[in-house]
Amino acid sequence: MQSALTPETAPAASDTTRSRKLQLLGILSGFTAGAWLGAAEAPTKLVSIGISPIVISLIMVIGVFLARWSLPALVLGTASIRADVRRAPHLLIWAVLAGCLWAVANTLTIFAIRDIGLSIAFPLWNSNSLLGIFWGFLFFNELRQAGWRRWTGVLGGALVMCFGAALLAMASSTQASAGHSPRGVWAALGAGVLWGTMYIPYRKAYLTGMNPLSFVTFFTFGELGMMAALAVSYTGLAPLWRELQSARGVIFWLMLGGFIWVIGDVFQQYAAKYVGISRGIPLSNSNQLWGLLWGIFVFGELHGRGVSVYLQVVGGSLLMMLGVGAIAFSSATGKEQTRWKEAAQREGRRYGVAADYVEARMEGRQLAGESRPGRSAWDWLLVGGATSIFVVFATMARVPQMSFRWGPAVLLSAALLLLLMICGLALWRTTRFH
Amino acid sequence: MERDERTVVTHSRLTSALTDIHFWVPVAVLLGGLLLLRFIH
Repeated sequence: MQSALTPETAPAASDTTRSRKLQLLGILSGFTAGAWLGAAEAPTKLVSIGISPIVISLIMVIGVFLARWSLPALVLGTASIRADVRRAPHLLIWAVLAGCLWAVANTLTIFAIRDIGLSIAFPLWNSNSLLGIFWGFLFFNELRQAGWRRWTGVLGGALVMCFGAALLAMASSTQASAGHSPRGVWAALGAGVLWGTMYIPYRKAYLTGMNPLSFVTFFTFGELGMMAALAVSYTGLAPLWRELQSARGVIFWLMLGGFIWVIGDVFQQYAAKYVGISRGIPLSNSNQLWGLLWGIFVFGELHGRGVSVYLQVVGGSLLMMLGVGAIAFSSATGKEQTRWKEAAQREGRRYGVAADYVEARMEGRQLAGESRPGRSAWDWLLVGGATSIFVVFATMARVPQMSFRWGPAVLLSAALLLLLMICGLALWRTTRFH
Repeated sequence: MERDERTVVTHSRLTSALTDIHFWVPVAVLLGGLLLLRFIH
């Protein structure tokens, strides 16, 4: 029996199947990112008041730094990172720049929450997804020739998610804000602009073929460097050291929060790689929904609150899910993907990156003849070193006396691990993490 | 000779980065963020 596919159409059909698979992978990565980024808030809730927000942020970033080096070493090995950097060394600048943007945005959110409360601040900085759509369209040909249905799905979905986020934030704000200071509004909007712009380097790196696991290892230098500079300049070196020493009992929980956050961020990076920033950012912004699930069911945050609060939670959650669904069903078509490829070729030409390498990595493949990355003793040393640091701080950790429900915590953790396994396995089978 | 070629490639990549709007937009936003932080602190 003769196949319906001629030799010419067979590769085209296989390309379409591959690209559809990668789109689904990107969407799954976005969902998983939302779940893990939301769960990262849980360990930080164990930290009682008494430590300055900048010190809390700095300790989390130290945990993030350790995770950003040990996870890539464990998954692919540092040899693979070195090979990536040799092919596109210019991307180091963008990785460090993105890290600096993240650190400043994160610090701004601390001031925004202080001045206007979480309920107003969160939806304001969540507007980063709209800016991400704009940059994706302007610089990287995203949503070009996508058709009105996909435009409506992505833009409408992002807007619906913003409304849902506003409702959830209003419901989850446990204390009255300190007044609607314009300063806080500026801080929250500023954080949104910085985070929305941070995705320019992300997309640039992935269009040129860099592996997300390589990108994050250099991103973290910008992140830790900028955060340390901000902490020293705002707190002073000696007071900062004293605060760090007095926070010994909670350092583990904050570093654990940072570690969980990195797992979410790695999936966010894969989402940005395979579905672009216009779809990847809104999908991973569903973290707010997961954060609220932890808050309500594990920490009993809304216990005893009125019916209207619960209605806000249900309404906001439904809106968030509706928005996520709209974006998930608006994946890029063949025409739009051709425009993505044009943007990738433009980047490759500009920076002298081999076209076959760019194309292979866009399709989540290794280059023909490329040696398989392996792990060396140095990688195991990195993983062992990071684990030891976590163990040392775990032995110093204090478990605070607070309401904690084990049942929902176990269920949510199981859901997280399940998503990690499904998405990790799908990434491994389809791309071998390339 | 090989080193010269590598130096030329590095210079050309640096020039490409410095003349790339994708570089200057995040830099401008970062500076704006730092100024905003200074203003609100």
